[in-house]
This record gives sequence, C-alpha cells and structure tokens, in this order.
Amino acid sequence: MKRVFVITILSFLFLLPIGHASEIIGIEADGDVGYRQVGLIWTTDSPTEEGTLFEIWVSNASIVDTANATKHSEVRVGNVSGIIQPDIGEWYDDCLFDSGEGDWTPVHRDLDGTAVVSVGAIGVNCTLTGLPSGIEIYLAVKSTTPNGESFLSSSISSSSTMSDEEIIVIETSPYVFAIGSIALSVLILLFVLRWMDYRDGRTTSRFAHLYIAPAILALSVLTFYPVLYGIWLSFTNADQSHLGDQSFIGIDNFITVISTSGFFRVTGFTLIWSVVNVAAHIGFGLLLAMALNSDDLKGKTAYRTALLLPWAIPSYISVLVWRGLYEPAGALNDFLGTNLNLLADANGARIVVILVNIWLGIPFMMMSISGALQALPKDMYEAAEVDGINKFSRFRYLTLPNLKSALVPLSLLGFIWTFNMFNVIYLMTDGGPNLDFDGPGSTDILITYVYDVAFRDGAYGVAAAWSVVIFVMLVVFSWTYMKKTNATEAVT
Amino acid sequence: MARQIICFCIVVVLFLPGCISSDQSSMVDDSDSSIELVVWHSFAAESKEQATFESRIEVFMASNPGVEVKISAIPYPEADQQFMIAAQGGEAPDIVRLSSDQLGKIGDIRVGGQPLLEDLRTHLTPIDRAKFDPRALNAMRYDGDLLGIPASQDCLSLLYNPLLFDAAGVDYPNENWTLDDMLLASLSLTSGDVNGLALPVKNAYWWFGFQSGFGGSLFDQNGTPTLDSNGSADAMDWLLDLELEHGVVETGTQTESMKTQFLSSKAAMIVDGPWNWATYEAGRIPVQQSILPIVSDTEERVAPLVTYKGWSVSKQSLNKEWSTKLALFLSSSEVQKEFAIETYTMPTHVDLYADPDISENVVISGFLNQLMEGTPAPTTRAMAMVYDPLVTAFENVYAGEMTSSEALLLADQALESDLEGLE
Repeated sequence: MKRVFVITILSFLFLLPIGHASEIIGIEADGDVGYRQVGLIWTTDSPTEEGTLFEIWVSNASIVDTANATKHSEVRVGNVSGIIQPDIGEWYDDCLFDSGEGDWTPVHRDLDGTAVVSVGAIGVNCTLTGLPSGIEIYLAVKSTTPNGESFLSSSISSSSTMSDEEIIVIETSPYVFAIGSIALSVLILLFVLRWMDYRDGRTTSRFAHLYIAPAILALSVLTFYPVLYGIWLSFTNADQSHLGDQSFIGIDNFITVISTSGFFRVTGFTLIWSVVNVAAHIGFGLLLAMALNSDDLKGKTAYRTALLLPWAIPSYISVLVWRGLYEPAGALNDFLGTNLNLLADANGARIVVILVNIWLGIPFMMMSISGALQALPKDMYEAAEVDGINKFSRFRYLTLPNLKSALVPLSLLGFIWTFNMFNVIYLMTDGGPNLDFDGPGSTDILITYVYDVAFRDGAYGVAAAWSVVIFVMLVVFSWTYMKKTNATEAVT
Repeated sequence: MARQIICFCIVVVLFLPGCISSDQSSMVDDSDSSIELVVWHSFAAESKEQATFESRIEVFMASNPGVEVKISAIPYPEADQQFMIAAQGGEAPDIVRLSSDQLGKIGDIRVGGQPLLEDLRTHLTPIDRAKFDPRALNAMRYDGDLLGIPASQDCLSLLYNPLLFDAAGVDYPNENWTLDDMLLASLSLTSGDVNGLALPVKNAYWWFGFQSGFGGSLFDQNGTPTLDSNGSADAMDWLLDLELEHGVVETGTQTESMKTQFLSSKAAMIVDGPWNWATYEAGRIPVQQSILPIVSDTEERVAPLVTYKGWSVSKQSLNKEWSTKLALFLSSSEVQKEFAIETYTMPTHVDLYADPDISENVVISGFLNQLMEGTPAPTTRAMAMVYDPLVTAFENVYAGEMTSSEALLLADQALESDLEGLE
C-alpha cells in the first residue's frame, strides 16, 4: 500500500509538467529601441512545451481580454531542426529567445515567417515593429498550450519614443554662398571700373556701368557659374551613389575619358557628323536660297512655306516619323519592296541619322542665306551682266565673297549646334546599335554619350570631364575658325 | 547715402540665403493638422489601371478626411531616374510606384549620405507582412532593407489568336508543348503577311526565360554573373534564329511592333505579359493564354523572369506613418482584387490566390500558373546592370560580328568589370 502510494505521488509529480502551461511571470517593454518600435521581453515560469503559441496583442487601452486589442505577431514553440535561423538584422524584425541556458539566440523562422523558438525556452525578447510613434500603447502576451489552455499576461504600457530620423537633403548653403559671392564680386568690379573711368575721365555717362550690371550679373550667375561648377565637378568623384559627398580626385576623370574604349571612334564620328551636316546644310541651303531668290521663279511663297515645314514641325515628331519610315516594317521597305533593317546596321544607322539631321537643318540655313542674298546690291549683278560675265562666274566672284560675312558665322554656329545636337540621335537610334562593350554605340556622338555616362551610369564627375573635353574642342575650333576666316569681316 | 543703402540691401539679399541653414529636419506626424501626401504612379495615361488607382485614392481620402493625396503620373521606364533626380533636389514625392528591378538601381544611391527610400521593416507588423506572398515581399528587399510593399507581380507568357490557329489547322498550344512544337506550329502558321510568332528576339528581358529553360542562369548563388554558359548561348541562338533563320518572327520586331502585329492579326502567337491583355481584348482579338513550353533537351520549362511592382516611401517624406498607411492601403487585398479583376494585374496577396473570383478567372489563374513557373528577378545592383552588356551581346550576334558564346563571354566580363568598379 505504501509502495502504491509512493508510485502514485511520483507519477503525479512526473506527469505534472505535461499538463502545466507555462505562465508568463514577467513582461517588460522598452520604447527606446527605434522609430515605430518597442522592445518586449517576457519570461515564463517554466520551460515551454512544444506546440505552445504566444500571441502579442496591442491596444490603445489596458488589455483585459483580446476582444479590444489587435494581434501584432505570434511566436511558436516547436521543433526548430531544419528551419532557418536568420542573424540579427537579417530578417524583417529581430526576436531572440532564452533557451534556459542564459544565452539569447535569434529565433528561427518557418515558411510563412512566423518566429519559432525551441522547446524549453523560458524567455522571448522581440522588437515589435509597425507601432505608432509617440503614442502610448498597451501590450500583452497570450500563451496557448497545445491542449487549448490560454493565459493572458498582465498588460503593460509603453510608447515608441524615438522620432523619425532627421533627413538632410543636399546642403545648398555653399552653392547659394558661391552664387552670392560671384554676384557681389561682379558688383564690386563694376563699382571699381566706374570709379576708374570717372577718375580717368573716360565716360560721360554716370550710369553706364549700372546699365550693363543686370546683363553681367545674369551672365555670371546663369552661364559662368554653371560652367565653372561643371569644370570643378570634372575633378571630383561625384556620382549618383554619393552626390553631395564628392571629393577632389585630380585628373582621374580625364584619364577615364581618354582611356574609354571608343573615345577616338566617337570623337571621329562626331566630327564626321558635324562636318557632313554643316556642309550639307550650307550647300543645300544656299542652293535653295538662290533658287528662291531667282526672279523667274513663280509661287515663291508656296515653295518657301513648304521648305520651312521641317523646321516648323517639332523636331521630335519629325524624327520619330523618320524612324518609323526606316524601320523594317516601315514605309521605306514597303516602297522598295525590300526587307532592310538599316537602324540595326552600324553604317546604315550612321547614314540614316545624318540624312535626317540634314533634312531638319536645311530650312534654317536656307532662310538665313536667303535674307543675306536679298541684301546684296542688284546693280553689281547688272554691271556684271553688262560685262558679259556668265552665271557661274557671277556666283563664284560676286555672290560667294559677298555672302562670306553671313556664311562664316552661320557655319560656325551650325557646327556648334550640330556638334551638340542631341535629340536626333537620341530619338532615332539612342546611340545604337551598340557593338562595343563598355563604350559608345555606333551612332553615339559625344553629347549623346555624355548623357549615357551621366544619367544611365550616374557618373557625374566623368560626364563633367567629357563635357569639359567637348567645351575645349569647340573653343579651339571656334577660335581657329574665326582667326582663319577673319570671321565677320565683310569683303572689301 | 541712398546708393550706400541700396548697396547694403543688395549685399544682405545676396548673402542672407547662404547664411540661413537649409536644415530640413523631419518631424513626427502632426495629426492635428491637414496632411498632404504626394504620390507618383506609373500607370499608363487614361488606362483602366489609372482609373482604378484614382478611384482607390478617392476612397482613401474619404475614409481619412485629414489627408489630401496629390497624384502625378510618370513614365514607368523612367520612374527610377525621375525619382532619383527629384530626391537629389530634395523634391521627392512621399510615395512612388517602383518595380523590384528599379529598387536594385536605387538601393545604393545616397544623397547627403542618406538612402532615397525608407526601410519599411520598422513600419510593418509581422501580421501586415504575412499577408503578402513571401517571394514578392522578399523581392522588394535590397541589401536587407524592405524598400517597398508589393502590390502586383507579372511575367511573360504565351498568348495566341485561336482564329489564326483554326485557319491554319494547327492545334492550340498546351502545357505539354515543347519548344520544338512551338517552332513547328510557328512555321505552319507563317504564311503571307502573317507570322507565326511575335517577340523582340534581341530583348534580354524576353531571353531570360529561355535562358533558364536551356539551363543557363544570370548569377550564381554568390551573385557572380554567369552569362557565359552553354545554356545561355543556346537560348540566344534559338531566339535569334526565330527571325534570322526560320523567319517565323518578322524582321526587326520590337516591343511596340509585336503588339501591333498581334493586334492586327499579323501574328498568331505572342510572348507577352498580362499588361497588354486588355488592349488585345479591346482590339477584339479572341486572345487565349497558355503556359510557356518545355525545352526538350533539358526538360526544363521556359521560366520567365518574375518582377514585382509596389509602393515605396521616400526617405525624405515628412509623413512616413501616413505614407506607409497609404502604401499598405494601395497594396491591400481589396485594392489588389479590384486591380486584378478590372485590369488583369496579378496580385501578391496570399488570400487572393484562393479567392474564387481570382482562381475561377481563366486569365488571372492562367498567368498565376505561369508566375509559379517563373524565376523571381534578384533585387540587386548587378541585376539592374545586366541589361547594358546583354544589349551589346545581342547586337553583335544579330549583326553576325560574333558567335553567341563569344558575345556572352564578353558580356559577362563587362558586367564583372562594372561590378568591380562599384566596389
């Protein structure tokens, strides 16, 4: 009898933990763990058994039952073998558990992302996310045993005290300061010049410098400053991944530019593109202007209007129409009965973009030259005709020399515009076809390639270096051209 | 004296802005005052998507009277670029719709040392997160941060015009189709001005699925590019041959022209996404869908790249809690369901996979089946950079300048070099 009694007692003591749900005996909250986050720790009176489920409930009032609360998350007690165990910071939120050995280890995650702790855990420490910031909330943990018994912990209040981190976008003060300094320097310079002129008696107007001040100021701020800023940027490592943190790197960007595969190819094609276009614009423009200037031609207004159309239509529309015409399913193949894919072929695409730009640029040249032609004295031609000079000689020895003062600046401007003509190539081929890995496309010119470097690669410093190279090329060309041609000087 | 005063005023006016701090500290939400949220979406103008989106915004504002939402449309392909430029000028919207591959481009970008997008991990509860397909949610993570809430997913599938199949006496595509069956059908269907198939053979996005089917992959498990495999080259050859050798794809077909061909019944099949389904229906094409075929040699199915689109919150937003609330609303089960039914936008909400309105819809369930066969696009910088070298590789092979193996080897080297440059 005594033995039976002892066995019964032992059995009871042995089986007691199986039917006993771990009760939560301690719960603490910490509102300082992060923005919209609260740390929550709870401990149990005994090791947790497999199948126990902890539910975390949130409410804006003290929680006496879960009816007036919202479920935030769950932690399951179970077999963790074969389940992933992300490190701290790897998962969407962090949760640790104390297996009873005094160490806090990251929880495991099952397929739907629920936190799983190993059997026997006696404490869980979770960072609760998605909570309102700066508002008092109440938290409680409900534990449910596999046999359905539930216990709700006491409710604890907390508040995520940390506010959103301070965001500073780009510090603009240095730029405003630089622009202000430039403007102030210009004003001081004008005052000094005004004083020197006054001192030396060089001006009769007291306000001469005041009159030019707005233009000089506008030029300084809108032209000189951006150019200088661009030049400075070309010596920095500015790129889109850390704009605003750039630092001086010397001439590295220029070395990158020179060592780009295809640098000479793209520069060469830019020169071909510019020279062929300008020559064609001037040539066809002159031809058409002379034809329209002929006294024998009837319906000049109609012709002039028709010839102006390419210029009058927004260029992006006409370029897209041209692209459609040249595509394999376009009108060109329909008309010729062919199956050409010109835009996919490097040379074909180069010829096509040049042709389209020639078509676009002729009207401007035609109108400009037409105006210059009309200003030529008619008696000069009448005298030549009386002297029996033939038409070609009149053109060669009278028209061309007299048009020089118009043609030289026109061709110079045309060259600069064409050199920097972006939209035709961007819309027709986007620089393609791209046959060069890590280099410009077959129809890229310098300016379209700079766009790729700046806005596709995000390398602002390198793009600025390319721009400086373009700037230098154009300055050298313009200077040489002006010197060689005596530019705007009229024939004497 | 007057001149001196004027000079003094000019100096003050010029210097004052430079001396004023441009500190734009972020505040906690001020719930007492009216809140204005700016949202950039990238739905096509005057599309059903845009109309559905705008109606949902109205609902949100009606249920939150203190919140005013201002919406702006931006072109989808340029959404990341426009957002980056705006953020660099401190003018980012509160919320922007971005795709998972666009997140890969933005993830590393810093302005003044700060990322451009808010890590939404701290804003979502586990219960919020559990509503979404884990693959979709994971695709919106970049370097651990959760940069968006997934609102939709999509991938390419095989669409066909049954009338052209009937006219040519060819059996419709089915789930047991191999690429050989597809090619044979395309050859039978190509006649006169009708082509058997329409797809842009030089477009890397279309190639990804075939690459996977042929046993290739874009990256290994460490994220190292693996473009130069035999499977990748075979897939490239197979695709280009559709146009260059077999002539079943019209010469020079691009994404826009393939649509036109299918809409005008000049193409019997098209490899396209659900985003164009409504357009084909509106064009009175009795369009049908089938899962992409199996590659006979590998016995693997063509597994198109799955991309996800979602709502991201700007790091510069002064109302992040409300922005997140709106992002969650726009990704909610109700809104996703409406988008799915109205516009065939594939949902990411797990509840909707079992919803009868979704599972019984032939189009949506068909595309969902295709999605399950697809490969989620990795949200990494490398993924965002993979397109450029591949464009060059395709151009070279198409132009006959290189073999596919040579071109892909160079593309792989170029990509690795670009990635090293980032480090």
